[in-house]
Order: sequence, then structure tokens, then C-alpha cells
Amino acid sequence: MKKVVLIALVLVSVGCRKDLGMGEDVRVTEVDTPFLLDLPPGAPPMVLPADAPMTEASVRLGKALFFDPQLSRDGTIACASCHFPDRAFSDTVPVSKGIEGRLGMRNSPPLLNLAWHPAFFRDGGVPTLEQQAIAPIHDTQEMDFNIHFAAERVRDEEPYARLSRLAYGRPLDAFLLTRALATYQRTLVSGWSRYDRFLQGDMDALSEAEQRGLALFNGPDLKCGTCHGGFDLSDHRYHNIGLYTLSPDPGRERISLVVSDHGKFKTPTLRNIALTAPYMHDGTFATLEEVMDHFAFGGQAAPNKSPLVAGFTITLEQRLDLIAFLHALTDERPLDQVH
Amino acid sequence: MVRMNSRELLWMGVMLLGLGACRKDVAMPDPIPMPEPIPVPNGTLRLKLVPEWEGQPLALYTEYRNYVDQRVNVELLKMYWGEVRLFNEPYEWALRDVVYFNLGNGPVSVDLVADSGMYSGFRARLGVPASLNAANPASYAASHPLSVNNGTYWTWATGYRFLMIEGRYDLDPQSTAPLIASYALHPGMEPCYLPMEFVPSEGIRIIAGTTTEVIVKVAVDRFFHSPTGNIDLATENAAHGNNLPLAIKLSENAVQSMSVE
Repeated sequence: MKKVVLIALVLVSVGCRKDLGMGEDVRVTEVDTPFLLDLPPGAPPMVLPADAPMTEASVRLGKALFFDPQLSRDGTIACASCHFPDRAFSDTVPVSKGIEGRLGMRNSPPLLNLAWHPAFFRDGGVPTLEQQAIAPIHDTQEMDFNIHFAAERVRDEEPYARLSRLAYGRPLDAFLLTRALATYQRTLVSGWSRYDRFLQGDMDALSEAEQRGLALFNGPDLKCGTCHGGFDLSDHRYHNIGLYTLSPDPGRERISLVVSDHGKFKTPTLRNIALTAPYMHDGTFATLEEVMDHFAFGGQAAPNKSPLVAGFTITLEQRLDLIAFLHALTDERPLDQVH
Repeated sequence: MVRMNSRELLWMGVMLLGLGACRKDVAMPDPIPMPEPIPVPNGTLRLKLVPEWEGQPLALYTEYRNYVDQRVNVELLKMYWGEVRLFNEPYEWALRDVVYFNLGNGPVSVDLVADSGMYSGFRARLGVPASLNAANPASYAASHPLSVNNGTYWTWATGYRFLMIEGRYDLDPQSTAPLIASYALHPGMEPCYLPMEFVPSEGIRIIAGTTTEVIVKVAVDRFFHSPTGNIDLATENAAHGNNLPLAIKLSENAVQSMSVE
């Protein structure tokens, strides 16, 4: 485990308060410091936007915002309402409910290793985490609010007033709100599972069954690792996996406007997959076993289905081994490092 | 006799200076700096968009008849223009990267600073230029044309709806019931960023220190029909990034519906 100092920027905020005893102004100086983010072995370098420094104040500001339902129009829904920390920041239902019980569009994805994602949402329609932060706040099915109004609502409250001044040198506004939320989410790093320990040479980290599952996962028959490879166990690309013959959700096509992208969705990470049921973009599968059955069957005959989803045959024992391996992808420590 | 205005004279001067500088010199002297452009006094071009339905002022929530006699109203009408520029072939003068029009309350004007002179007309595009379309709207003040406060931003696609028209309709011309079925047509994205050109018969004269108003009539009834594409509300009542052919057809119709006096 290595401590990495990501940002050298130190912001100094100087405040004044009246000291009644002395009858004169006393200058109080608070200093923001870089946030020391633990990165797991094997993690790629994390590149941060220049205008979103990762400091103690900025990540604490972002975390406070993430868990605050005041960001929704009626004050009932926070980001955390659909992204539970103990579920790898995903939800437990196929489609999350927004304010007034309104149903969203797709399954709430886990939030981890987002700093390395090239695009966000299951169709990849949003290129930055900062821009992503706007979407749920404005979505009428989610928080149904306005990012300017949300910032104004909490701007003068603590801890927002103090943390915003410390992190960015000015009161919270819409721009800073997106920065803070994005910065906090970048601290949600996964990479401390038994699978990771195994990769680092701890041969006892995985049971024999899990090791057999790993071999199947990367083997020539199943080839799961073709799409679910790399540090994040995702190629971050878009595939139609034959969930439907004609997907009711256009998926990537909605963004690219290319017909052959119909029903394609970004490959999800498999990290903490045992915690993030239900599965698929619409939460259609309740268990890992159902997911396994789908891929073994080979999916529906969608015209643009990935040729990699061609079906396979495995024994019951192999199926159990594979699922055991997927459980070994669960982090052994909390994703949240902001305490 | 050919008459030249101050702008044309300025360009002529610049071209003559450029020609004079074209000679081969063995001992390369320091480059001759380009002459500073001669400041041209500014005037104002006021673009006034006037929404109409069959030649009459458009009123929101008023029941109209469309091209196939269906009952229809308009409840929201907004649009962006990108890259607004005056032109005199072969030259163009950029005025504004993006302009926002909310036509829900009738005519809307925007004032653009322009160099004084005589112009053939002006050009723009229906929508938002790509570079601005990809920017983070949180960086814009609440009063900015690209602020999310205008309700024009597609958060899921990080882009703007170039045109928004919404309302209600009834396919039965004989019915007297309230209009219930709704339509919402929101073209956006690159393929809908269509060019427009307006050439008033007498050109556009910008005079220093004064405002020149150009009225652009927006025939909203023609959003739904044109020689190149009619919109059938029975089946074509929603375009929200998910129906590109319809979005392009509406954009084309909208561009064709706008004209200057």
C-alpha cells in the first residue's frame, strides 16, 4: 500500500473574527492540505483535473454534499439515497426511486475507480465526473432540482461555507459543487480484494475453488476477461450482450446516434460484484447465477450482439467455482477513505 | 458607378498593403508587422424574432389548426442560434458565438455589436457550436444563455437542446374536448446544427452609434410541414435525443420557417 500525495496545491484561507475581550480583530488562519489518498498496488496513475484539487477540504465538502438530501428539490433524496456505501455505492433495487417515488431509467451503478473512467453513465454520454454531477440533480426522475438553487440552498450552512472557502477560496456555487462532488467520488477506490492480494503474490488469498474460477474467467472457453480485464475489470467499452432481441433502451445509440450501437452499454466493473445486485443496466437479473445462465445461454439474437457472447457449457462445479471467484472481488476494506 | 462603403475601402487598403509587401529579398529583413486594423465605429444589430402562426402573433396555449387540420397548441418554444455573423461575400464578421431565444412570451430581441458598414445579410446556425455544447454548464452564471437555468441542457448527453417546442394536440379535427395528448420535440446534437442565411432585400446597414433592427419572422406552423418533410403528430410527437430523423426534419423545417422582411 502506498500513500500518494496527489495534489501539491495548498490553499490558505484567512478569516477574521472579533475578539470581544481584546476589542480588536484577530486573524485566524486555516490551511487546507492535500488529501492523502491510498492507491492500491496495480492502480494506474490518477490524473486529476487542474481545477479540481484533491484536498482535505474539497473531499470533505464533496462527501458532505454527497450525503445531503438538500440537493434535491424537496429535500428527500441525496446521492447516497441510490448509492449505498455498503453496496459499493450502488443500489439494491433494479431501478432507483427519486423524489416522490419516481422511478429512474436505469440501474444505479457502483461508484468506484471513477477517476479512471473515460466516460460516465451506462451509455457513456457524459465525459467528466464534474458534468456527471449535474445530471441527477436536474433529472426530474431523480432529484428534480437545479444545481444553482442547490448550491444557494446550502452555501451559507456549515460545513459548506467553511469547507468551500478553505478548498476553493470562495463560497460554494454551482461550479464548485460539481468539483467537490467529483473530487470526493474520485477517492472511492477499489483494489483491496483477495483477488488483488493474489495478484500481488499471496497465493493463499484465493481458495482452490476461487483459483479454478479465475482460470475459467480468463480461459479460452469463457473469455470473460476479454471485456472484464484490466485494473478495473472493465474495458470501459460498449457492447450489446443480447439481453434483448430489440432492446427497449437504445443504450449507446442515444449518444452516438449510430444504429449499430443500439442496446450497447458500457462494460461494468466486476469489482465488488457480489455487493451490487441486481445486475445489468436495468437490473433485470437478481443474482450472479442468473447472470451466469444468461452468458452460458448466449443471450438473445440481437442483430448487433457481441460475437464474444456466444454461449458456453460449464459443469455445476465450474459454475460454483466461477461464482466463488466473483465473490473474491469484494474489497476487504471500505471504499470510502474520507473519515 | 460602384460605390464602396468604409468597410470595403478598408479591405481594399489592406489588400494593397499586402501586395506591396510581396517581394524577394536576399538579406531577410525583420518581418514587417501587419498593419493594425483601423478601428471601425460600432453600431448595433438588433435581431428581433417574432413567432407567428399562419401570419398571426403566436400565443401560447392557444388552439390552432395544423396543416392537416388537427388541433394543436404550443406551450413552450425556445431555440439557440450559434455563430451569428454578418457577411459580405466573401467575408464574414463574427458577432456572437451563441444567442438564446425564449419565444414563449412573444417577440424577443437580442442586440449585437457590429462594425458600421453595409452588409448583404447575416448567417447563423440553429443550435450551439460544438465547443460550447461540450462545455460544463455549471461554469456559466445563472443569467448566461447557456446556464442550466434555461432548462435547455441535456444532462445525460452533456449538450444542449438546440430547439425546444412542446405543446398538446388532438388528431380529431371535430373534437371540442380539451387538448390532452402532448408532444415534445427537442432537436439537438451535431447533425441538427444546421446553417441559416438571411438576406434582406436592401441589405443591412449598420450605422455607428445607432441600432439597426432586423425582424426575423418565425412561422411556427411551418415547423410541422414543409416541401421536404411533414411531421405527423400521430406518430412523430417525441424527439428527445432518441429519434434523430425526426429531430433533423424538425430542424430543417424550423430553418425554412424563418425569414426576414
